Amino acid sequence: MPIGASLLKKTAVEADTFVQRLDGRVKFLYFIWASVLVYVFYDPVLNLVLLAATLLLAAHAKAAKPILITLLVIIVPWILFAVPILSLPLGFPWNKTVIGYIELFGRKYPVYLEGFGWGLTWPLRIAVAIASALLFFLTTNQAKLAATLFKLKFPFKVIYAVIATLQFIPLLAAEAETIIQAQTARGLRTEASVLQRIRNYLAVIIPLTLSSLNKVQVRAIALESRGFSAPVRKTLIYEARLSAADYLFLGGMLLATLLLAWVYVNIGYSPISKLPWVWAG
Amino acid sequence: MEPVIRVENLTYAYPTSRDFVLRNVSFEVHRGEVLAVIGPNGAGKSTLLKALNGLVPHFYGGKYGGRVVVAGYEVLKTPISVLSTKVGFVFQDPEDQMSGLALTVWEEVAFGLMMLGFPREEIPKRVEEALSYVGLKGLEARSPFELSGGQMQRLAIATVLALKPEILVLDEPTAQLDPLGKFEVLSVVKRLADEGATIVIAEHEIEEIAYFADKILLLDRGQVVAYGPAREVLASVEELKSRGVDPPSVTELAYLLSRDLGVKVPAPITLEEGVESFSKLLGGAGGA
Repeated sequence: MPIGASLLKKTAVEADTFVQRLDGRVKFLYFIWASVLVYVFYDPVLNLVLLAATLLLAAHAKAAKPILITLLVIIVPWILFAVPILSLPLGFPWNKTVIGYIELFGRKYPVYLEGFGWGLTWPLRIAVAIASALLFFLTTNQAKLAATLFKLKFPFKVIYAVIATLQFIPLLAAEAETIIQAQTARGLRTEASVLQRIRNYLAVIIPLTLSSLNKVQVRAIALESRGFSAPVRKTLIYEARLSAADYLFLGGMLLATLLLAWVYVNIGYSPISKLPWVWAG
Repeated sequence: MEPVIRVENLTYAYPTSRDFVLRNVSFEVHRGEVLAVIGPNGAGKSTLLKALNGLVPHFYGGKYGGRVVVAGYEVLKTPISVLSTKVGFVFQDPEDQMSGLALTVWEEVAFGLMMLGFPREEIPKRVEEALSYVGLKGLEARSPFELSGGQMQRLAIATVLALKPEILVLDEPTAQLDPLGKFEVLSVVKRLADEGATIVIAEHEIEEIAYFADKILLLDRGQVVAYGPAREVLASVEELKSRGVDPPSVTELAYLLSRDLGVKVPAPITLEEGVESFSKLLGGAGGA
């Protein structure tokens, strides 16, 4: 029983702050806006500013932790990997400006600005997109999320797929936990050599796969018999309506857009870090 | 009177089953009637019920013969989405039928209405009606997954009742419940039956069925072995026992009295009837 309770709670962060109260469409727009902005500009510092703003909003909404974990898993290794490969003379074709030298195994290698900038900007662009998208998903209650996506004219099956996916991961985790406990109770050894443990996990993965498939089918049956695919226009009980806070937020975004447009025209696409142009930069 | 459900020679096999799961099943249900489908595990009760809202054959596929007409629609030619407005289906495991889209009990009941495009003004009215009918008023803001088994199953019934279907189909709604949960759910079913709902229910609690079923259909290995008024079917004690189904204890007692001692008692099917006929019998024997 608590499986279900926790899975529903985990998906929408249960807090009631200004961020949660923002209309889903506004948060969705913020996600699109921020992602486009970091793409239009080519400036890792600007990306960091937007990332910080997004994380501040997330922290206020008590949703920063899952976002930080995601970034830690995806973005940090990416930067650690991309920056050395691109900034060292390993073939990044736009490398021209030397910003310093690094000594490796007794030899000096030049570090290039172009590769360094590229290797930093791209992961941070994606970081902004991920953080703003997660902010939208994590702080929008599912029913309201459905209403929002519906208003944005997404097909209903897509909406359900999005929401079901959000639920699927914790459900799977909970199911795996139950199976592991059951198998351990029946003698599955969790303290063994790594190889043995990998083999042991088959005893978890196979029943997990089967039971998940079963669950999906049962759920599909239940939904079908409740008119899920009825060929009518669905009614949504939540009217997505904009409040004063929404207009304030939109106003802020508009102001920022105007300011950045001025910056773009008068200073350029890399206003703070002054990166030189590279292809796909 | 025209029956609401007419099943003629229904024969069916799942794509994965080696043999037919239903063979030549025929019966009728009239408006306001309660039909209980009983039989041992694996008799085909669930499959038969799923043939009433079109899950069989539309969802599962498989080999299908015969004709099922429900509320004027021939099931074979009608999509599940249309049938779902006519037939409300309650599953065995209440957790299976939670939409997963609703955070609260209230939203869960509203879900079906939303899916079928009911006007927004009407939804709250219907949700409240359905919730108070099953006795879940006051729990509207709870998460469906925080409810007890009996509460959750009553919620499942409410989600169906909110749609005001012509026919209510319940597939062993108490099988997963503790005694209290069973009692809660069957009380709701009994009340629905008393108020004239058309119900088809598969159920193992024979003692309870006797209180509200008008007709009983005994299914074994996909075939109808007995079908008729509840009293008649329940009184065929030997037939039931040979199929692995226990008749109500009072009915069995009356049967044993007659078989072993030759004492003729009008066969009771409920406890109250039992008390009445056996008191009469004892009173008569005592010469009072």
